[in-house]
Amino acid sequence: MPRIRVKVDEDLCIGAASCVTIAPETFQLNAENKALVIDHGNQPDGPTYERWLEVTEEEKENIVLAAQSCPTLAVFIFDEAGVQLFPEM
Amino acid sequence: MHYVIIGGGIAGTTAAEELRKLNPVSEITIVSQEIHPVYSRVLLPHFLKGKVPRERVFLKKVSWYDEQKIEWLTGISVVQLDTKNKFVGLSDGRELPYDKLLITTGGELRTLFSDARGVSYFRTLDDADHLQQLLSERTEKSLAVVYGGGFIACEYINIFAHYQIPFSVAFRGPYFWPRLLETEAGELIQKQLLSHGIALHPHSVFSEVVGEKELRAVKTSSGEHPCSLLGVGIGIETDFSWIQEAGIETGSGIKCDEFLKTNVADVYTAGDVAEFFDVIVGRQIHIGNWMNAMMQGRHVARTMFGQEKTFELVSSYATNVLGLEIIFVGDVSKEHADEVKVFGSVQSGGVVQLFARAGQLVGAVLIGRNQDRAQVTKLIQSRSQISVYDFHHF
Repeated sequence: MPRIRVKVDEDLCIGAASCVTIAPETFQLNAENKALVIDHGNQPDGPTYERWLEVTEEEKENIVLAAQSCPTLAVFIFDEAGVQLFPEM
Repeated sequence: MHYVIIGGGIAGTTAAEELRKLNPVSEITIVSQEIHPVYSRVLLPHFLKGKVPRERVFLKKVSWYDEQKIEWLTGISVVQLDTKNKFVGLSDGRELPYDKLLITTGGELRTLFSDARGVSYFRTLDDADHLQQLLSERTEKSLAVVYGGGFIACEYINIFAHYQIPFSVAFRGPYFWPRLLETEAGELIQKQLLSHGIALHPHSVFSEVVGEKELRAVKTSSGEHPCSLLGVGIGIETDFSWIQEAGIETGSGIKCDEFLKTNVADVYTAGDVAEFFDVIVGRQIHIGNWMNAMMQGRHVARTMFGQEKTFELVSSYATNVLGLEIIFVGDVSKEHADEVKVFGSVQSGGVVQLFARAGQLVGAVLIGRNQDRAQVTKLIQSRSQISVYDFHHF
């Protein structure tokens, strides 16, 4: 299973919630209306804007789709080697 | 199969991308009035405040269209639609035949009937470039006025505050969004603005801009307000003439069903321009927000490809005025609701306003109440009764 690092730039996030709509298992809004990164619906080690996730190919595709849907491109996805998968550089 | 898409914004471009995935060999053409590759309008305020560089607002590179084998016509609008012979007439004189046509033209800004240098509008990247130029010319003596009481007004307020330009806000109604909000909700927004020392001029009907070439003031029914910069946000007004002439039904937008099909065969619509049948709230509704445009773009591509499915989404839009979060979820028209309930208060700093029809919760506005967003979205989605909503004091 691929391991990816998902990060939300809280300064860019405006709480549009499209990531939450597409990938509710990975994103959840906090009280500041910013998207937290969650792990399959859970928050081991508490709330955070950045997390390593172990996901299936299908889940990874959906997380990329969620990142693509963000109107402020606030969601960043990196692979295990640290290469930025989205937004494309 | 030739798919023609009118409008190169997020709805149209997402549809093109999805159609290419579904059908690698079809012909796809996007006709775009703007000359830029698709960009995020939502990022424009971030760009103006220097949070992201200009190149970061683009969602696709110029080369993407070629790579996807999508014909991309820029700087061109549609002047005619013939649904019998199935072609569109373009502003450059060409006639473009189609098998299936998608209209994702978004909306046109409503403008004031007089103009001077210093008057700014805010929808496109070109508008943002223009505003950036005006902002770069500011001096210590610069004064600004925001005219309008909606989303765009909020953006101007945040931008002028960011650059520490003294400004006042004039609007037609008694408070912001009078067609959506009840007094308590409206007053909470007013209080936020007043607490930042901003002068408000409610009940201001525009009369003219003052200044030969350079803007000196704006005149409204509430008086003459000196300014060298006027940010105007007075809504959307779309010209539907070529669409109506083609026999396509329109209301406040282009009417379509829950599959995003118009009343004319092989003509579809999506995004800000679509007035679609929303199965969750049970009426034809016109919603202009990013989430809706993007999800409808993807959905309509599948409908056009023959994978017909009901479009179902509780979309929302969040804005922020000087730190106060304002979130709109679902159907938030007072006119279409038969019950509107307000929870919270100005004093507590949080107001929740709910909209219902025949007891069913259909929409909500949350001001300073982010924590209610998940609950109301779920209740609207599950077609719950308004009485189920549980207000917590924080």
